[in-house]
Amino acid sequence: MIDRPTTLAALAAALASAEAAAPVPAVGSSPLDRPVVLRAGGTDLQERLGSERRAGRRLPTIVDVGGVEPLCGIHPVPGGGVLLGAATTVMVLAESAVVAAWPALAAAAGGLATPQIRAVATMGGNLLQATRCPYVRNLDVSCWRTGGIGCAARDGVHDRGVVIDLGPCVAPHPSTLAAALLAHEATIVVAGAEGQEEWSLSAVLGDGTDATVDHQLDGDEVLVGARLPAPWPDERGAYVRAAGRQLAEWPLVEAVVRLAVGDVITRAAVAVGGVAAVPLRLPEVEAALVGHAPTAAVVAAAAAAATARCTPLPQTGYKVPLLVGTVQSALEEALGEALR
Amino acid sequence: MPEGTDVRTAEVDGRAVSVGHLDDHVTALEVLRSTGCTGPKDVCGGGVCGACTIQLDGTPVASCLLPAVALAGRTVTTVHGLSAAGPHPVQRAFAAADALQCGFCTPGFVTAAAAFVDRWRAEHGDVAPPRDAIGAALAGNLCRCGAYDAIHRAVAAACAGEHDDPAPLVGARHDAAPKVRGDAVYTADVRLDGMLEGVVVRATAPHLTDVALDLSVAAEMPDVVVAPMLAEGDPTVRFVGQVVAAVAAPTLDLAAQAAAMVAVLGAEAPATIGLDAAMAPDAALVFADRAARKGAFGGGEQQAIPARWHGNVRGPVRLGWRGGTAERRITRARSASDPLLVETTFETAGQVHTALEPHVAVADVRADGTVRLWASTQAVGDLARAVAARLEVPVGGVEVIAEHVGGGFGGKLSMTDEVVAACLLSRVAGCPVRVRWSRAEELSAAGYRPPTRSRISLLAAVDGSLAALRLDVESDGGTSIGASAAAQSLLLYGRTPRVVRDLDVVSHAAPGCAFRAPGGPPMAWALEQAVDEAAHRLGTDPLELRRRWDGNERRHALYDWAGALPAWRDRGPVGSSSGRLRRGIGAAMSSWMYFVDPGTEVTCEVRDGRVVVTCSTQDMGTGTRTVLANAAAAVLGIDPEDVDVEIGRSSPSHGPTSGGSRTAASVFPTTTAATEALRDEVVAVAAGELGLAEARPIDGGIAHRDGVVPWKEALAAAPGVRGAATRGADLARRVVPFGDSQAGRGLTGAVHLCEVEVDTRLGRTRVLRAWAGLAVGRVLAEGPARSQVEGALVQGIGYALFEERAVDPHTGAVVSASLEDYRIPGMADTPEIEVHFHTEGWEHVPGGGVGIGEVAAVGVAAAVGNAVHHATGWRPTVAPVTPARLLEGLGS
Repeated sequence: MIDRPTTLAALAAALASAEAAAPVPAVGSSPLDRPVVLRAGGTDLQERLGSERRAGRRLPTIVDVGGVEPLCGIHPVPGGGVLLGAATTVMVLAESAVVAAWPALAAAAGGLATPQIRAVATMGGNLLQATRCPYVRNLDVSCWRTGGIGCAARDGVHDRGVVIDLGPCVAPHPSTLAAALLAHEATIVVAGAEGQEEWSLSAVLGDGTDATVDHQLDGDEVLVGARLPAPWPDERGAYVRAAGRQLAEWPLVEAVVRLAVGDVITRAAVAVGGVAAVPLRLPEVEAALVGHAPTAAVVAAAAAAATARCTPLPQTGYKVPLLVGTVQSALEEALGEALR
Repeated sequence: MPEGTDVRTAEVDGRAVSVGHLDDHVTALEVLRSTGCTGPKDVCGGGVCGACTIQLDGTPVASCLLPAVALAGRTVTTVHGLSAAGPHPVQRAFAAADALQCGFCTPGFVTAAAAFVDRWRAEHGDVAPPRDAIGAALAGNLCRCGAYDAIHRAVAAACAGEHDDPAPLVGARHDAAPKVRGDAVYTADVRLDGMLEGVVVRATAPHLTDVALDLSVAAEMPDVVVAPMLAEGDPTVRFVGQVVAAVAAPTLDLAAQAAAMVAVLGAEAPATIGLDAAMAPDAALVFADRAARKGAFGGGEQQAIPARWHGNVRGPVRLGWRGGTAERRITRARSASDPLLVETTFETAGQVHTALEPHVAVADVRADGTVRLWASTQAVGDLARAVAARLEVPVGGVEVIAEHVGGGFGGKLSMTDEVVAACLLSRVAGCPVRVRWSRAEELSAAGYRPPTRSRISLLAAVDGSLAALRLDVESDGGTSIGASAAAQSLLLYGRTPRVVRDLDVVSHAAPGCAFRAPGGPPMAWALEQAVDEAAHRLGTDPLELRRRWDGNERRHALYDWAGALPAWRDRGPVGSSSGRLRRGIGAAMSSWMYFVDPGTEVTCEVRDGRVVVTCSTQDMGTGTRTVLANAAAAVLGIDPEDVDVEIGRSSPSHGPTSGGSRTAASVFPTTTAATEALRDEVVAVAAGELGLAEARPIDGGIAHRDGVVPWKEALAAAPGVRGAATRGADLARRVVPFGDSQAGRGLTGAVHLCEVEVDTRLGRTRVLRAWAGLAVGRVLAEGPARSQVEGALVQGIGYALFEERAVDPHTGAVVSASLEDYRIPGMADTPEIEVHFHTEGWEHVPGGGVGIGEVAAVGVAAAVGNAVHHATGWRPTVAPVTPARLLEGLGS
């Protein structure tokens, strides 16, 4: 829509009027079957709309959120943290001097997608994007996510699927920033009919057992931003993405690591993506680090703890060693010269 | 936003474009292209390939995913705007470095690269950036021709300020200028007045019998025309994605909505998918009887040699010499557990051509039976004949136009469904119709190099000779036949006793088709790795072993060159690298036939004082235009830029198909002869017109008793003068007919070396450096020749490491139907490449040089496989060597 709402109130009004005006489509044949869909950068949505158009499907009404003031910008909050507006682009996250205080987040943002996508894609859109499973995106296939029953990938090709099998769908969560924000213990600001609330990231993304939705927000709820707590003193961070090609590929496994190191490792946060229906913190790895000297042996043992929850599918057995290797590499990179 | 900016318009290359009225679903790319700004290309529709890149307020973005309404109040620079005030330095750099081939990705590349170059120079001054910085900046752009190493060189040179001189845009490639400016017109850019947009209806089930179509609802929609596409007399669906009908309407959206109303009715039957299922005793038959088998797509890998069918298996086609001897030696060695018997099963995945310009056709079938057809094709002449036959109209009335072709690689050789659909719909509608595959269609039902499973037995003797070879290859080409991988091995290793067998295994899956060097890369993946393994077991240098087993003298020169490279000479033993990152180097050799089209005709005429060379052929990025221009320019001693080349049009005169590496050797000497005829005629005419005594041609003009008249002046005095020539066959005894071409005397050769770094922890293999030595005779067009070799390397690296056409095991539906799921190499995956040409040995061919495209492609993946073995001590048998396979292989 060319007249973009600029306030949350205007956005709510635009949503309500679009909902009222929209024809009710057949339920459950596509992820776009909500009558009204919010659009930020559009880098995920436009591709799916394009597929729907080529299939001759009825399209939802679009409401653009990119101009809504509270969603824009990076705002300091008392205590040393920031509020990252949902419409902040991935490129800004990767390059901003403010975000550089959280090196793992900046690295994760810079490591995803391509320069052209990072310039447009937003933090909010990245968190709430639809699953990348090629079966889901094939409009001729019906599954849990598109109102049907079953998972064609589980019975078919799932070599890029999950290795920690939480639910009926085998597609890993696509959001790199979700893994990063999880490691940063960010809370998510959601605006709804009742005003603004703070949700945990897990509340936004669910626990991976419900394959019928991409996230837990209702149609009238808007992701406003992410509240990032202050960085740790002397925070170190790293992001490692394992994939076949060097760049521009969805990760097979990705790891976001934050560490604070004195004589021993004093704090650790490790989150991984590409392995489960939602990004996961790995407290078992963190526990094996905190209180220990940053030696190669400690790092290797901690990374090996990442296998604890693995339940590989027939085609994802390789992700068990890959998860260990990715976590280990991220830990080593975060430690840098502090590795003893 | 500055005050006074109209929030409903965008500034596009300096002009105002209204976006306020647009539908929310429309993309920026659609709006730009509909206003005639066709530099940005529509390739993947998913923001993966960057061919649609524009600068939005100076920042590169993917316009295919950008909502058009997001342009409001913004400044857009496309490839056209980049050169508004003279070419951007990066455009000059691309042209100079030949950083392009087909050119379809080039507008997006230069637009992204220009932003990077400008920013880099502002921040760092005029210095070349590190290679990784260029790779990261251009990670959002893909080039299927594989021009990446040249793009690296071009961007580095532009950053270093080497192309700031505002000289005219001149390139190593005759059509570089329009391609880097984004002005080159491809079929995808053709838009005719009153044109309808067509789409096809595809089967969504793998096997239906007694199929009936209900087109009635679609046909009754206003402005919609329909055409059934099921083969007459065979109402069967044999794979998901099979075209059953076509629909056209004034807009693509309307056509798609109408297509959704077509009902495909039929009885669901059991389907069989994949090699093992298709060969099972109780497998559902793909072709029930002899009549149905005639419908097997024979344009598979190659012309199918006649063979018997057994269920879903066609063949084996058994070839070789002294086969009994080979079998006996292998059997004996096996029972003796001879360590010099290498017996392994190798597999390769399906590889999709992925030309960035999709299959697209614009047909204008008129009531009088004449047809004008714009098509993205490798064969304007063949296609005109095929269309005439299909529509039952005189061939003289069919004109096929393909001025620029955005890549082919073998996938655009025949009359494919988009051409048929466009023609049938146009005939019904009475107006032009365009049919263009989406990227999903392109990646799932437009052909591929079939997956293979090869069992090889290679026996070395204790004295180090090659004693016997057996190679059985099963080809998994869906409904297509014509496997040729095993047969390709006949071109290697002389007269060693051997028996080789090709089997076509058909299943309910989309058909494969010819792909650059059909059969070659899967054959080499098995054979050249087996040779490497034999060398390892014999304790012999793998290049030395090949020299011993390979009698080809041209390749011996390449072994000399490769063996002397420090990277090869100084390599350590197999598996001697340790730690997380392990380096290794591998070699493989290639051989291909020399094909020529003896019927090739070239005319050369003087028009507006310039030399115009015409041939009924096409340039899909291989450099055919440049070959023609170079040949003509060499005869006259003028700059190739001063020669105009008219190709990309079918005509009554015959020209070569761009396939089988036949084009260069067909057109180069013919152009030479035609230009010589023109030259002599011009000398005669100009001498008369200008009163020249003792006139004779020299480089640059006509020498006469009193001086020299430059060609420019002489040509002006000889308007309309023509020269023509026909290629003719070579004067050699061993010439084998091959369609309308011939396999001439001699085999081409190549040797590839690849140096890899294997990350044994993350399972990633990176090719760091690569060397290609080619024995193809004289180089007929330097820039494009080198580019072809580099591109073949990049595609081979993709085949070895990344590319895998994934198919659902139950339905045969293609799972890798986007450029995110079908992964071709990118800038950062490209090694530094060194290309060496051994130019001797082709003196018996007029012009002294032959084609390159296929011999440059055969052995690349095998060289990567051998390098992985050298680095790790583990031999990869299944391509691509993904992290999954590498980690599983190293772990076991």
